[in-house]
Amino acid sequence: MQRKLSALTIVGPAIAAAGLLAAPLQPLAMERTVHIAGFGAKSGVVRSFGVNTEAVMLAAAKHINESGGVKLGDGTTGKIKVSFYDDRCNAEEGISVLRRIATTEALVAVGPTCSNVAEPLFGILQKKVGDDKDTGLQFPVFTDTAIKGGLAKISEWAFRNVPNEMEMYRQMFKWIKAQNPDLKTVFGGVEEDFAHSRFTWYKVMKTRSGDAGYEVLGEAKWLLADTNFTTQVRKMRKAKADVVAISAHPFTTCGVLKEMQRQRVKPKLLVGLTSSSSLETLQGCAKQAEGIIIPTSFAPVTPAAKMAAEAAAKLGGSADLHSAAAWEIVNILKGVIEGQKVMAKADTLKADRRKIRDGLANLKTTGGLLGKIQRTDEGEAVKPYVYVHAKAGEWAVLHNPIK
Amino acid sequence: MDFYLGLAQIIGVHTILGLSAYVVMLTGQLSLAQAGFFAIGAYVAGMLTVLAGFHIVPAMLVGAVLAGLMAFIVGFPALRVKGLMLVIATLAFGEFVRLFFFNFDYQISKGGITVGPLGGEGFRQIRFFPENGWTSLDVMLFVWAVVIIVMAALWWMDRSRAGAVLRAVGEDELAAQSAGINLTVVKVAAMTAGGFIAGLGGGIYAHYTTHIEHLNFGVILATFAIAYPILGGLSNVFGTLVAVIFIQGVLVEGLRFMGDWRNLLFGALIVLAMNVRPRGLFDERATALLKGLFTGRGHART
Repeated sequence: MQRKLSALTIVGPAIAAAGLLAAPLQPLAMERTVHIAGFGAKSGVVRSFGVNTEAVMLAAAKHINESGGVKLGDGTTGKIKVSFYDDRCNAEEGISVLRRIATTEALVAVGPTCSNVAEPLFGILQKKVGDDKDTGLQFPVFTDTAIKGGLAKISEWAFRNVPNEMEMYRQMFKWIKAQNPDLKTVFGGVEEDFAHSRFTWYKVMKTRSGDAGYEVLGEAKWLLADTNFTTQVRKMRKAKADVVAISAHPFTTCGVLKEMQRQRVKPKLLVGLTSSSSLETLQGCAKQAEGIIIPTSFAPVTPAAKMAAEAAAKLGGSADLHSAAAWEIVNILKGVIEGQKVMAKADTLKADRRKIRDGLANLKTTGGLLGKIQRTDEGEAVKPYVYVHAKAGEWAVLHNPIK
Repeated sequence: MDFYLGLAQIIGVHTILGLSAYVVMLTGQLSLAQAGFFAIGAYVAGMLTVLAGFHIVPAMLVGAVLAGLMAFIVGFPALRVKGLMLVIATLAFGEFVRLFFFNFDYQISKGGITVGPLGGEGFRQIRFFPENGWTSLDVMLFVWAVVIIVMAALWWMDRSRAGAVLRAVGEDELAAQSAGINLTVVKVAAMTAGGFIAGLGGGIYAHYTTHIEHLNFGVILATFAIAYPILGGLSNVFGTLVAVIFIQGVLVEGLRFMGDWRNLLFGALIVLAMNVRPRGLFDERATALLKGLFTGRGHART
C-alpha cells in the first residue's frame, strides 16, 4: 500500500508537470512562421533610411505577434518574422537582393529606400499579371520609402505606400496662400541629380505653387554630392522671392540653409521636401531650418502614431515620413494574409505570393497611422497628411488638414 | 536558382567592363573613361530596342561601335598625355558623357506611353529580355556567350603580334618606339578596342537592369573598371574574371549579411589581397602553376 502511494506521489506530479509543459507546447505546434523580407539602404549616405525601416518593421511584427499573430488560411496562427537586406541604394544590388529574397521563404518584400533602385527593380517584375509571354519576376513588392512619382504602374506586382506629393503640395501651397496673401513669389532650390528631388521640384512644387497663384522666379540647382552652395544662394538672394522652396534631401538642404544664413538670405517663408521632415535635418541644421514648412504623412499626432513611434524608438529606430509607412505596410499585409487565406507553407509559397499580390491589388482603402489611406488602381496610396514646421529643434504640427 | 543566375549576369557584365580597361592597361595607360563608353553603349542599345524595336544583338553592336568610335576620337587628344594627366583627362571625358546623358531628353509616344531617356530621371522600361520571353537562364547564357567571345578575342590577340606590341608599349614606350612601333596608333587602337568592349557591356547592362540613369555611370563605376584588371593582374584575361568574382561574388554578395561592416571589410580585403599578391590575384606565377598542373610538367617556373 505504502509502495502504491509512493508510486502515485511520483507519477502524479510527473503527469501534471508533463501536462503543464504540454499546454504551452500545443499552440506552438499549431504555429507557423510568416516570412516578410525588408530591404533598403543600410549603408552609405542614406543609411539612416534603411536602419529606421528595419526597426519599424521589426517593431510592427513584434506588436502583431504579441497581439496574437496572423490567422492563416487553415486557422493556424502565424508569427511574422522579418529579415532585412542592405541594397546600398544601388540599382544592381537592389535587383540582386530581390532575386535573393525571391529564393527564400519570404511571401512579400518591403522596400526599397531609393527611387533609383525601385525603378529598375519594378522593371524586372512581370508587367502584367498572368502574361505568360512576360518572363519578369513574379514576386510582390510593397514600397515604403522610394517616393518618386508614378513608379508602381511599372508592374502589377509593385505597390507603394508612399505619400502623394502632388496632392500634398497642391493643398499646402493653397493653404499657405490663404494664410499669407501678401506672399507673391517663389524661388526654388533643387538637388538636380537626385531623381526624387528633381521630380518634386519640376513636376510638383513648381507647378503646384504656380497653380496656387505664385509667380515662380526661377530655381538654383546643385548636386547631391555638393558641399558649397555660394553661387546658388547668391542667385536666391538676387531673386528676392517671398518664398524659397527647397527640393533636396537633408544633407544638401542643411548645406543650403547654412549658406543662406551666411549670406543673410531671409525669405518670408521656407518650404522643404517631404523627405527632409526627418531627424537628420534637425540633427544637421535645426537652427537654420527653424520655420521651414513641410507636408508629411507622418507625425505622432494620433494614439496609433505615437505607439508606433515609441515601439520603433525601443528598437533603435526613428519613425518618420518614410519608415512609418513600413509599420502601416506590415499591418496591411496582416490583413491581406488573413483576408486571402494565405497558408504560409513551403508547398504553397508561389500561390501565397500571388494571393498577396491579388489582395493588395484589390484594396480600396486601408488603415493608416494618421487615418484612412485610399488605394489607387495603379498600386499607389493617397495618404492623409499634416503640415509640420521646425520649431525649437523639433518637428511640430503647424496645420492638420485631417481635422 | 534565379538569384545565382542573376549574380552570374552581374559578374559577366562587370567582367566585360573590366576587360575593356584591361586592353588599355596593357599599353601602360590608365583610363577612367570606360564608364563613359559603357554609358554610350547602354543608352544607344536601350534606345534602339525600346524606341526603334531592334533585336538586342544589332542594338548592342551599334552601341559598341559608337562607343568605340567615341574612344577613337577621344584617344587622339587624351593619349598625348601620360600617367596622372591621362587619368584626369579620361575622368573628365567620363563625367562629360555622364552629364550629357543627365541633360539628354529624347522621348516618343509608343502605344500611348511616352518612352525614352528623360535626363536626370533616367531611361526606364528597357524590357527586351522579359518582353521577349527570355528566362534568367537565357539571359545568363547570352551574357556569358559575349564574355567568352570577348575573352577569346583578347586571349588570341595577347598571343599574336598585336598583343606583343601592346605589351611592348606598356613595358617601355621608348624601347618600343626605338623598335619602330607607332605609339599613337597602338594606344589609340587599344583605346578604341576598350571603348568597343565597354559599349558591349553597357548594352547588356541597360537590358538586365531595365532602367538606366546618369548616376549609374559615375566615378565609382570607372574605378571598378580599372580595379578589376589591377586586382586580377595583367598577365592574362583570366585575372580580370577572378577579380570580378572576388569583388562582386565574395565581397558584395557574400558579405551582404554584415551590413555596414561590409564596406569596411571591402576596402580592407582589397588592400590585403593587393599586399599578398601585388602582381594580381591571377599573376604569372598562378598562370604558370595552372599550366604546369594541366600539362603535367611539374612545378612551374616563376
